[in-house]
Amino acid sequence: MTDKKILALCGKGGVGKTSVSALMVKLLASRNGKKVLAIDADPAVGLATALGITVKKTVDDIRKDLINGIRKSGPQGGSETLKRLDYDVFDALEERDGFALLAIGRPEDEGCFCKVNNLLKDIIADLAGKFDVVLIDGEAGIEQINRRVMKTVDHLVLVSDTSVKGLGVANSIAQVANEKKAVDFSSMGLVLNRVRTLAEVEAISTRINLDLYGWLYDDDLIRSLDFSGEPLTGMPDSSPSLAVASRILEKIGVLS
Amino acid sequence: MELFTQTIDTVRSFVSAHAGFKTWKEDLDHSWPDGNRDIVLKEDMGLELGSPEKDSISCLLWTGDIASIVDGNITLVGPDFPESAGRSLPFGKVVLLGVEGFDEDNAYDRHKELDYLRYDLNLKGFMMRAVSQYMREWCRVSRAALSQGFSAKVLGSSIMKLFRTRPYVKTVEVLYFTSSTEDVTRLGQITSPAEKVIAAMNKMAAEFDYDCVSCDYQEVCDEAEGLKGMREKLKNKTKEVQHD
Repeated sequence: MTDKKILALCGKGGVGKTSVSALMVKLLASRNGKKVLAIDADPAVGLATALGITVKKTVDDIRKDLINGIRKSGPQGGSETLKRLDYDVFDALEERDGFALLAIGRPEDEGCFCKVNNLLKDIIADLAGKFDVVLIDGEAGIEQINRRVMKTVDHLVLVSDTSVKGLGVANSIAQVANEKKAVDFSSMGLVLNRVRTLAEVEAISTRINLDLYGWLYDDDLIRSLDFSGEPLTGMPDSSPSLAVASRILEKIGVLS
Repeated sequence: MELFTQTIDTVRSFVSAHAGFKTWKEDLDHSWPDGNRDIVLKEDMGLELGSPEKDSISCLLWTGDIASIVDGNITLVGPDFPESAGRSLPFGKVVLLGVEGFDEDNAYDRHKELDYLRYDLNLKGFMMRAVSQYMREWCRVSRAALSQGFSAKVLGSSIMKLFRTRPYVKTVEVLYFTSSTEDVTRLGQITSPAEKVIAAMNKMAAEFDYDCVSCDYQEVCDEAEGLKGMREKLKNKTKEVQHD
């Protein structure tokens, strides 16, 4: 494994982005000696569920508590607020074997508290800086990653199923990333999920203008675990999907 | 100017009521290596103190009676860190300072400055998260640091060194409590008058409204002479600003 790495996974809702994230976290966690932070930036907190974690506190809960406090008792000093947020964010960290998870929660919905949001972003960036690998399971849009988590990532991993809609969203994200510079990144590529045949991959490869990091076949075991609400951390090490996820992480230099 | 005399006396009586507390002198010869402001995750953790699931109290008290502080003394009520490996303990910390030149004009700013000093502590294998308004301090010591001898004496000596960088701090004493939840809870009760005084100072500094009749801290200010003086000074300052 090389130096610190930050990966952000984005894609249309329902394409299996969270499952791919969970497989990657499982792999990263099983490689000894590295600190791994998984950030669940999906408001539905799906990554936590896929990793078998019940989240007790999200970053949004912290933000709301602070704002309610400010409304009730007036503003605190900047340093005091920073220390409080730092304490609360560390408290929100769910620590498990080989990794820690931070859930962002729902997006802001009550007025603009840019100062608080920016402080939280600084704290998340600072915390992330203490880990060797950071994996962000994002929403569909990368603007949200910039606004709610961090501005700079190393690898932007676009996840799509084989549908035209899914690929369309991946393309749009790539466009926004390239043209509007919504997030700073070093590399970007596509992971195809729920592939049925190799022919699908070949056909898609000719249609897209993205580096193809890899593809995962439609996996009955993932489907069955999802159906029964079991965490994907229970996937056997021999799982072909895990092997593919491992190859993708190797390809982008996060696993060696 | 005195704000915490009564609380300091009560804390001392509380310590004395415990048989078998340990006391060390500050270690001036050895210093613990600096860290990289690392975090200590559970998988690397050797000991946890005052986590959000446990009781925790952290309090900073100062007095102008410099000689009443036993300079360089580190007192521990409860088990020391190395003998508590693998545990998560409740945690109480009281820093007692003998200070010079505190008055109504500078007491608040100096108190804040002293309170923030703990965030400058950067020791290898030690992580601290603290919130003054919660009066809590949450620490983790890594397994490696613990096996290399990180102890209450090491921590106390390191924090003392920071306080000694302030010219107005003349004497420093640190008290730690790891004995039981009951003790830390009781310590919280004992230090709550100080907490109220600090909250009142914070309020005074944050507001320009000195309508004492409607203030939640009226009783606290009435009891603490120093706060009254501070309030009068701030009132006058506000008037001067308004006239200008």
